[in-house]
Amino acid sequence: MALFCPMVTGLISMFQIKIVSIKIVNLTGSILTSSVLAVIIYHIETQGAFRSELLYVDYLSAVLLIVVAVLTLTSMLFSLSYMEKELVDGHITFNMLRRYYGLLNLFIFTMLSVLIVENLGLMWVAVEATTLASALLVAFYFNHSALEAAWKYVMVCTVGICLALLGTILLYYAQVSVIGTGAQALSWLELKSIGSQLDPAITKLAFIFILIGYGTKAGLAPMHTWLPDAHSQAPSPVSGLLSGALLSCAIYAIIRNLIVVQIVLNREFLQYLLIAFGVFSIAIALPFILVQHDVKRLLAYSSVEHMGIIVLGIGISTPLAIYGALLHIINHAIAKSTLFYIAGVITQEYKTKNIMRIRGLISTMPLLGTMFMITILVITGTPPFSIFVSKFIIIWASFSDGRFILGASVLFLLAGIFAGMMYYCMAMVFSGKPKHSILTGNIGKPALMSMIFSVCLMVVAGVYVPAWLDTLLQRAVSVVMGG
Amino acid sequence: MRRREGAMNILIIILLFTSLLLTRVSRLKTAVSIILVQSFMVALACGIEGMEAGEVHMYIAAILTAVIKVGLIPYALLNITEKWQQEREGHPILNVNFSSIAACITIVLAYSLIDQALPGAAGSRDALATAVAMTLIGLLLIMTRRQAIMQIVGLITMENGIYLVGLSATKGLPLIIEMGIFFDVLVAVVVLVILTHRLKLSGMSTDISRLKKLKG
Repeated sequence: MALFCPMVTGLISMFQIKIVSIKIVNLTGSILTSSVLAVIIYHIETQGAFRSELLYVDYLSAVLLIVVAVLTLTSMLFSLSYMEKELVDGHITFNMLRRYYGLLNLFIFTMLSVLIVENLGLMWVAVEATTLASALLVAFYFNHSALEAAWKYVMVCTVGICLALLGTILLYYAQVSVIGTGAQALSWLELKSIGSQLDPAITKLAFIFILIGYGTKAGLAPMHTWLPDAHSQAPSPVSGLLSGALLSCAIYAIIRNLIVVQIVLNREFLQYLLIAFGVFSIAIALPFILVQHDVKRLLAYSSVEHMGIIVLGIGISTPLAIYGALLHIINHAIAKSTLFYIAGVITQEYKTKNIMRIRGLISTMPLLGTMFMITILVITGTPPFSIFVSKFIIIWASFSDGRFILGASVLFLLAGIFAGMMYYCMAMVFSGKPKHSILTGNIGKPALMSMIFSVCLMVVAGVYVPAWLDTLLQRAVSVVMGG
Repeated sequence: MRRREGAMNILIIILLFTSLLLTRVSRLKTAVSIILVQSFMVALACGIEGMEAGEVHMYIAAILTAVIKVGLIPYALLNITEKWQQEREGHPILNVNFSSIAACITIVLAYSLIDQALPGAAGSRDALATAVAMTLIGLLLIMTRRQAIMQIVGLITMENGIYLVGLSATKGLPLIIEMGIFFDVLVAVVVLVILTHRLKLSGMSTDISRLKKLKG
């Protein structure tokens, strides 16, 4: 019963778009959602998995629910002041604002449904729903670039998702002889229990399609082409959600399918497949990061890189690596969303997204500049912050598994990315005064709160992982390994 | 039984024909009409399978297909194309003849794929191959056409193809999943139509190849 609350909250907030006190409604809505999610996570902690007719949450879902819970709160907080500033600046009208909040809540609702649904077929429906819900958010400003980005986004992702559908249908075909065609078909739990009876050849084909399909949604190269456009054209809070939560949901879908499929398929084959995609994503991200002009596109390519790291961790599939990958999902979500929020404020103030024109952050906006600096350090994996921990674990796992060349080459690539991002960051934060004087308006309190909160999370998480999180992650790892 | 098999075969041939035809049209309205026929055939195929298997849920699926893909979606698309003053002709990247040849190659490819990968298919080999071919031709349309509406048409073809794969390999997915899929397709087309509408409103042509601003 507690599971219905997030959905209801999402739905209700969607309809409350008629009053000026939209902010209050949305804020309460998101606090409610996040707290309900927290309750659910606590529930899972103490009582194990929860199952109802169509829904199912276990430790793995809990890990991702943490991501969505935190991000809902921070993105809503940030939206409150950011969108208000947009309204004041004249970039949007009030009607657009109403539409924005309606769509935002719808988007969150669809992401939640991906995480708590049990049936793999319905999970597909939910993932496609997230694409559609966020498409209108990406196209929000309805200018030429936004429309182009949204078109590419919908097209590429829907084609990808259609491939995932093909894969899911093949999976269904594989299990038809065992489970049958009733309501249990494509049920994840059922599939897990009868896994060994699936036809390997068909399952192999199915999984390849599923990986390519959901991988498109997760931003793995070479299907990532929609990512830079969509993440840079969407309003900043939406970019944060897209990058942090949506990509993680897509990875979740891959993992769920993986758990079923790895029972019957050759382990090595799966490992090679995932590691290949992972490393390829990191490798592709590198050159694009080095030649970026647009700060949000820079962050988007960084997302591609991090998704590659996560998939790499899952591909190495030792318990340590998976632990690192899951931790990385959480850390990356927090860090990347914060970066997008900060970048949003920066672009609002400087009125440009061009890196070359953003200069001297430390003098115009000292607090923001420092936060930006810190967060870029975080996202590139500098100790003692959170992302360093998860990256380190994954690379350590790669070395301890005997894959020396893999670990070394990934380190090399990551160093390159570090150099690139630091170069641009330094350029933006330090190096002289901006060309024309920037009137630094106030950053709204809610936005500030959400950003500071996230930054603190990242700093703290670098040195201390709370015990409950540790056990949760370990249990989630055992779920992934097939326990 | 033989009559039904015969009917299925005719449907499949028509479906293949429509897909090939789609690679040759350049007027948008014609393309939408062809999609209408195509979706109708798919709905019919679902209905026939339903008769063979005797399952109610397939009838429901057939009716849903008919309503959504034959009724609502082409209606929306025709609406959009009619509102425009000039009849926009597609200038594809691959010219018409090459696209048709490419489509034929994909059909051959589909047959060989099916023979290799799914030897024990429940349905007929032809149906499955047609379905895969339709999916690939849809993909071809999306990749080689520049007109927004043509890309939507390609997407619908691809969707029809995948649905047909499900239909011929298994006897259709559980109803709730199928309903979800229908809903998704509907909303996808709605979203794309909104975007196309906005493209038109913002004064730009709906020529997708003109959307090249975001690079690198």
